[in-house]
Amino acid sequence: MAAWLGFVAEIVVLGLHNLLRNKLRSLLTMLGMIFGVGSVIAMLSVGAGARHQILASIGELGVRNIIVNSIRPPQEKKGDESESWAERYGLTFRDRGLIEETCSSVERVLPVNVTKKRVWYGSSRVEGSVLGVLPEHMALFGMTVGRGRPLSELDERAAAHVCVIRSSLVRELGVLRDPLGMSLSVGSFSFEVVGVLEDARFQSHTRKALAIDDRAQEIYIPYSTSMRTFGTLSVVERAGQSEKSIVELDQLIVIAKTSELVFPTSRILSSILDSLHKRRDWEIVIPLELLQQSEKTQAVFNIVMVLIAAISLVVGGIGIANIMLATITERTREIGVRRALGATRRDVVLQFLIETAVIGLIGGLIGCLFGLGVIELLVRFTGWTALVEPQFIAASLGISAAVAVLSGIYPARRAAQLDPIAALRNE
Amino acid sequence: MPERIVELEQVEKDYGQGAAALTVLKGVSLVIERGEFVAIVGASGSGKTTLMNILGCLDRPTRGAYRLDGHDVSKLNDFGLSRVRNQRIGFVFQSFNLIPQLTVVENVEVPLLYSRWPRRDRRRRCLELLEAVGLSHRLNHHPTQLSGGECQRVAVARALVNEPALLLADEPTGNLDSRNGEEVMRIFGELHAAGRTIVLVTHNPEIAQALPRTVEMRDGLVLRERRAACEVAN
Ligand SMILES: Nc1ncnc2c1ncn2[C@@H]1O[C@H](COP(=O)(O)OP(=O)(O)O)[C@@H](O)[C@H]1O
Ligand SMILES: [Mg+2]
Repeated sequence: MAAWLGFVAEIVVLGLHNLLRNKLRSLLTMLGMIFGVGSVIAMLSVGAGARHQILASIGELGVRNIIVNSIRPPQEKKGDESESWAERYGLTFRDRGLIEETCSSVERVLPVNVTKKRVWYGSSRVEGSVLGVLPEHMALFGMTVGRGRPLSELDERAAAHVCVIRSSLVRELGVLRDPLGMSLSVGSFSFEVVGVLEDARFQSHTRKALAIDDRAQEIYIPYSTSMRTFGTLSVVERAGQSEKSIVELDQLIVIAKTSELVFPTSRILSSILDSLHKRRDWEIVIPLELLQQSEKTQAVFNIVMVLIAAISLVVGGIGIANIMLATITERTREIGVRRALGATRRDVVLQFLIETAVIGLIGGLIGCLFGLGVIELLVRFTGWTALVEPQFIAASLGISAAVAVLSGIYPARRAAQLDPIAALRNE
Repeated sequence: MPERIVELEQVEKDYGQGAAALTVLKGVSLVIERGEFVAIVGASGSGKTTLMNILGCLDRPTRGAYRLDGHDVSKLNDFGLSRVRNQRIGFVFQSFNLIPQLTVVENVEVPLLYSRWPRRDRRRRCLELLEAVGLSHRLNHHPTQLSGGECQRVAVARALVNEPALLLADEPTGNLDSRNGEEVMRIFGELHAAGRTIVLVTHNPEIAQALPRTVEMRDGLVLRERRAACEVAN
């Protein structure tokens, strides 16, 4: 066994020598392999990155929670809209009551009231998304307060004008002093900052699921305060016109008693809302379903990458087979000499297979580096996340060695079938 | 009792098949005993190389029997022939046939690679042999950096590395100038003196004259043999 390994090691060294003797040709030979392996790594890593992000989001969103969002239904005829003073759509207090009364699988329903307001600090201004939430809301979504305190039951009962903000808002407003205790103007009301959240933002999937506006800063205030000061009317300036809408409940967080009850509960919610709403002005988001959805969106990317990988690997394999055939023609005499000195056909096959495996592995290694470069660019320019796991590199190297060995079989057998006498006579 | 290393019985060799078949060896019988140093001479095309290929187990007789070192090798398959070449035969070629990518030591190691010798033993054995042919100072050179005479000495070391029963050399001095040729022949002489069995093809009458036994071929047959009355090497 040791002797056999020694033999293999010897041939590997020989293969490396032969590769290095003709660097440009070797590189061209490996090009297909490099692209193929690069695509494989990029695909696996981007997939893993997306999955990782979604799992983190699911962690944030909670496996027992069902998020029901009010959504603006597709616009009907212009006439209808101009008749009413403000468009009325979305979830109603009645929906909430019915859900709480009829769904035995529901532990609790948390309302969220969202209003768009300008936020001022001195002369700096940002667009704010003001979320009126119950005290337990923040803990439910894992929002930890880094400085100060979270919203409390007392704030809720007193409808206090206090808010919890994200540190990014502090930065954006250019606040230099300690943000705790400072006063912010939200719309025409003044709010005291009592807490600053640790994280700068939610995971992107969490933001999407919670319908959080990416362009606005989140400001959390007590639900009662929100209802009393801003109410259900929201005014959005769009194209010079102010669009008014009335949404009783912008969002309901429905907490199922157990995670197994999430899907049955969501079906019940669906049928309740279907029967109460004429229009599709609501949506249900189930964190557990995010994974499937994202896999659906990734599918196109994956198909493209699989195609690139497959084509590159096939082309790479053919390239290797071609170069090996040329090598064998060049080295016919060497093969004759080895046969005369006692190499069996198996030894010759083994030698050339090991040489192709070496080409494959080196191509695979370069391909991995290339893939890492591609991932770096993708991450930088598309904002995707990628997660390079060690087993992806192992898999890629395995694939490249396998492709190389497969494409080496025919040339190696050709070499082994050479008649030693004819090979020795070859000039 | 002298041992028979080579025993050819009515060996014939055809090239091609059917009507196009060309019989190149037409019934060669030859016995070579251990320790003999035999020259094979003859006109070009008389079948010397064909005979050497059969002696070296690179090829099989079409008809007839060949016993090498007591084993019948005329019916062996490709694998069997490869093993025999590796274990019992040493080749020295006219054009050296060293592997250009390998260094001198690595070239000498090749036969040991195929008999799966462990690396350390391999090195030691090769160093001994290279020292014997006076090339210890060239171990890590490549064949292209050596003169013809040096290349042929490396080839001789390689041929001996597996302790072959039979050393075959097809015109080993054909590509060498006379000084290097003499040096290589001197080494063969020493090997003969040390008891090796050697068969050598040569066109050089002086070399043939000097050897104890000469087999002359013509047209695929042994035309005549000459044995020196007294075997005194060189
Ligand atoms: N592979 C082959 N196919 C057909 N004819 C061959 C082959 N090898 C050798 N011959 C013929 O066999 C004859 C003997 O060749 P060879 O043994 O090389 O003679 P020598 O070595 O004495 O010059 C020549 O006529 C040659 O043309
Ligand atoms: Mg010849």
